[in-house]
Amino acid sequence: MTRRDFIKTASAATLSALTAGFPRSLSAEPEAKIKPTADTVIVLWMAGGMAHTDTFDPKRYTAFARGLKPEHVLSTFPQIDTAVDNIKLTAGLENIARVMDRATLIRSYTAGDLGFILHSRHQYQWHTGYAPPQTVAAPHLGAVIARTLGPRKPAMPGFVDIGQRFDQGEGEELKAFHTAGFLGSEYGPFVIANPEDALKSVRPPAGMSPARFERRETFYRKLLAQSPVGQLGSDYQKDSLLRSLDNANRLLSSPAAKAFDLSLEPKATYDKYNTGRFGLGCLLARRLTEAGARFIEVTTEYIPFQYWDTHENGHTRMVDLKKAIDAPVAQLVLDLEERGLLNRTLIVLASEFSRDMMIEGKPDKQVKDQVVVPDVISDMKSYGMHRHFTDAGSVLLFGGGMKRGYLHGTTADERPCKTIEKRVVIEDLHASIYRAVGISPKLSYEIEKRPFYVTRDGLGQPILDLFA
Amino acid sequence: MVGSAFHVAAQAEVSPEEAAGLPPPASHAVSFSKEVKPIFEASCINCHGHGRDKGGFRLDTRDTALQGGDSGPAVIPGKSADSLLISLVQGVDPDNVMPKKGSRLTPEQVGLLRAWIDQGALWDTNVTFGRVEPANLKPRLPVVPTAVKATNPIDRFLEAYFVTYRIRPPKTVSDRVFARRAYLDVIGLLPPPEGLEAFLADGHKDKRERLVERLLGDDCNYAEHWLSFWNDLLRNDYKGTGYIDGGRKQITHWLYSALLTNMPYDRFVGELVNPTSDSEGFTKGIVWRGVVNASQTPQMQTAQNVAQVFMGVNLKCASCHDSFINDLTLADAYGLAGIYADGPLETVHCDKPTGKTAELKFLYPELGAIDPGADKAARLKRLAQIITQRQDGRLTRTLVNRMWQRFMGRGLVEPVGDMEKAAWNPDLLDWLAEDFAAHGYDVKHLIRQILTSRAYQMPAVNLGEQPQQDYVFRGPAVRRLSAEQFRDALMCLTGVGYASPEKEVEGTIPPRVAVGSCAARPAGTNNVRAALVAADPLMVALARPNREQVVTTRPTVATTLQALELTNGETLAEVLKRGAQNMLGAPSAANGGLIPALYEKALGRRPTRQERRLAQEMVGQPAQSAGVEDLLWSVAMLPEFQLIY
Repeated sequence: MTRRDFIKTASAATLSALTAGFPRSLSAEPEAKIKPTADTVIVLWMAGGMAHTDTFDPKRYTAFARGLKPEHVLSTFPQIDTAVDNIKLTAGLENIARVMDRATLIRSYTAGDLGFILHSRHQYQWHTGYAPPQTVAAPHLGAVIARTLGPRKPAMPGFVDIGQRFDQGEGEELKAFHTAGFLGSEYGPFVIANPEDALKSVRPPAGMSPARFERRETFYRKLLAQSPVGQLGSDYQKDSLLRSLDNANRLLSSPAAKAFDLSLEPKATYDKYNTGRFGLGCLLARRLTEAGARFIEVTTEYIPFQYWDTHENGHTRMVDLKKAIDAPVAQLVLDLEERGLLNRTLIVLASEFSRDMMIEGKPDKQVKDQVVVPDVISDMKSYGMHRHFTDAGSVLLFGGGMKRGYLHGTTADERPCKTIEKRVVIEDLHASIYRAVGISPKLSYEIEKRPFYVTRDGLGQPILDLFA
Repeated sequence: MVGSAFHVAAQAEVSPEEAAGLPPPASHAVSFSKEVKPIFEASCINCHGHGRDKGGFRLDTRDTALQGGDSGPAVIPGKSADSLLISLVQGVDPDNVMPKKGSRLTPEQVGLLRAWIDQGALWDTNVTFGRVEPANLKPRLPVVPTAVKATNPIDRFLEAYFVTYRIRPPKTVSDRVFARRAYLDVIGLLPPPEGLEAFLADGHKDKRERLVERLLGDDCNYAEHWLSFWNDLLRNDYKGTGYIDGGRKQITHWLYSALLTNMPYDRFVGELVNPTSDSEGFTKGIVWRGVVNASQTPQMQTAQNVAQVFMGVNLKCASCHDSFINDLTLADAYGLAGIYADGPLETVHCDKPTGKTAELKFLYPELGAIDPGADKAARLKRLAQIITQRQDGRLTRTLVNRMWQRFMGRGLVEPVGDMEKAAWNPDLLDWLAEDFAAHGYDVKHLIRQILTSRAYQMPAVNLGEQPQQDYVFRGPAVRRLSAEQFRDALMCLTGVGYASPEKEVEGTIPPRVAVGSCAARPAGTNNVRAALVAADPLMVALARPNREQVVTTRPTVATTLQALELTNGETLAEVLKRGAQNMLGAPSAANGGLIPALYEKALGRRPTRQERRLAQEMVGQPAQSAGVEDLLWSVAMLPEFQLIY
């Protein structure tokens, strides 16, 4: 069997084991293997802090009026009914409301106490389970899943990250957790900053025709055969290099590459998703899921003071943000369902923390105010949830073995609208996601001779109530 | 609290009834070394040996065992039923059972211990569980063996080694291969064709030594190559976390100057441990806004990094609790961190404050003590003295090992972060370390020693990513160009480097370098090397780390994401496009010289007829820029280009 034949026939697991080498995983726990309920995870990231009382956890509605006292305002949107009697959402999420019978809604997510609000630091903790700085480079949730389970289809990158650019404010902090860390870059994010450019990332370089690309490849093979080092016997470094080039070439020339091409989508569906970059990111996520992706994150993008980072004009901006997410999220659920994929695809819509009009941090652990709140609201600019609230938050789950039409956790109906029942912390949320894909929260990888656990110190406990 | 176990149990007198519940003593004459020692090793010494004294109890010797800990004597010879040790391992008080961690002793084991005590608690005097002297710490100068053939000291040590392992050292590599290695290893650049030709034509018997010497004298390129190595180790970067809040500081200017002037390593380390305002970035750490875990405070980061970078030992575990992977304890970590603290530092055990103030000390107290009464400035001065003194043989061994690994692909000790492990040739490591110190901690001297050895000039061997247990040195490993070497090599081929240093770097480079030219670097405007700019997507894909943590060894495995970046990434495509235009504009291109020139620059050889024919077909007649781009790409993807062999 020639090397190329081997590459063609080798299973994904073999390939990933070959490329991986190290670090090796330590045995998780002696208990029986967890039966996975999902093959793919899609994280829909509401970057910047999504206010729970203005989205998935409606409280008493107070319409805008000059002279309002901020402390009286809990929700700036009226509540709406959903497909489930006991679940209400806020206006602007009508499409999602119609698919809530497929959803598990956590209202009691509580972010970490990091002493100060820094979005990128909380996001780092959400995505790795650890607060920076860390003594070793902590891997992103997606990298852990890609490393542990391998790609579903050999040509498809195990961890695709859609929508985030890294040259904006806090870009360096974002880079620090958009990484496979010590697991090695094989499992790092395949970044598609703009979903409309997705095809570019699996196509020959700009300006190169497919014919020229193929010709280059053919010539390369011939030159390689002539090179004395190419003629030498098997060598770890050489084989690793050639194998990686084969893998890349395989993705670029495989049918899977078509999944990246949004122009192949019928106009009617494309339009349903097309609320902008996030909406198209959801469409891309659906196409990649169909093509065998393992972990996908689609973000609304974190840029300081933009999108969900509503330091002012909270209500007005929220109207637009909801328009951006409502239709595509609902459509993603329906499309996956229609294709028979929802049962095996876990969708997780989340944010690093919530927002409130009055409280920065937690009621009992307030941190330094970063937003000036006037005594009296005199214009729309001040009408909205502008402070960073960490004592409650909503996480919306669909598919992948989760219950349907289930509500988990309760928050107070009066300020502070904090978690009062079934508190969910990041370790347990991660443990639940990991359990869905069959990974133990106690799984660890060895780095510098120490175990590094996929949930903090192996302490995560899956929330069994969420599972159907 | 662990200490209270003894305390509480001591108060509980063992009643005759309870004594009757004990397993009976073994009925035979018990052997200490065969039957008792294994029990102690498996269940006791993790907390009561190797310098650890939980509950004030050390099981180092018979005396300390009899003496006991905070709760009184542990062993009363002849009276096992009255010995605290027995009631604890038996679990007479269910709340105080030893061992605290791991499985309980079996009744048979308790019976053995009882019999041992009843028979007089005899102890082989040559057995001690006390703290053993840390490995690779004291300097040692082995005699260089007389050898049949070898002249270079390294080879004289290895001659006997090769005999032992029945290795017949093959012929050394050709001049071409040697030149490529030496250029890439000393200055990180490909040999320019004229330099290579001159070397090949050189008739001197010691031409290889002369080449190494010449390369070591190219101060600027030397500095710009080794900058990446030290940036990784000292986690110095131009962009990264921490900068937004002023929670991080660069040391680029200091580091660049130190490398440019070949600052002696003892001074180099001294200035990092006890910094000036130019070098303080290393000990300032990376500070994120908000509260941090006690194991990640700036002073603890410093303790971890000083231990890892200079002493080759992992202090990260011990920052939370006594380490499971080496003998370092929480007290050791806080002892070192406390030297950097502005006031008394409270020890925190796994996020729980202990109420105990750290006692200031260096990891290896045998190297010298820190006066706890001294102010911080005096303490740092003292710490720098301790670490850089001639008696610290760990500092030198750690660096020697890193350099050896760099040039040979494998350290004398592996992993390089665990210098308590034995080297595969301790004499060689010890001698190189002493030779390095004796030559004024001159890093270039060390490089010269290694590169002029026959060992370095042996043909490259195939080694995987992971160190094997049974590693035998047979020659340097095939290595891969680093991200920076790859990018700089492309610059050598095409004349397309970076236009200017990162703006965070500008002004940090000493003026004479900024305006002058580096010998082996193409002239022109786009000749800034990769080490001086922030990582671009190409370099990230090629495993240049983001320097949030200390990186001692970069992974070399080629990944799919990396290959994708090489195959269709915009960064490389742009370099190739501009490079092709440069090459077509060069005078040699007109008379068919483009292809030979490319091969000579890239691979240090002329193309074969077959290669020339293929390449010609690829670039077209007359040469098309698209064809040249594709040829450039193909050559750059050849293992012959990307590997150091």
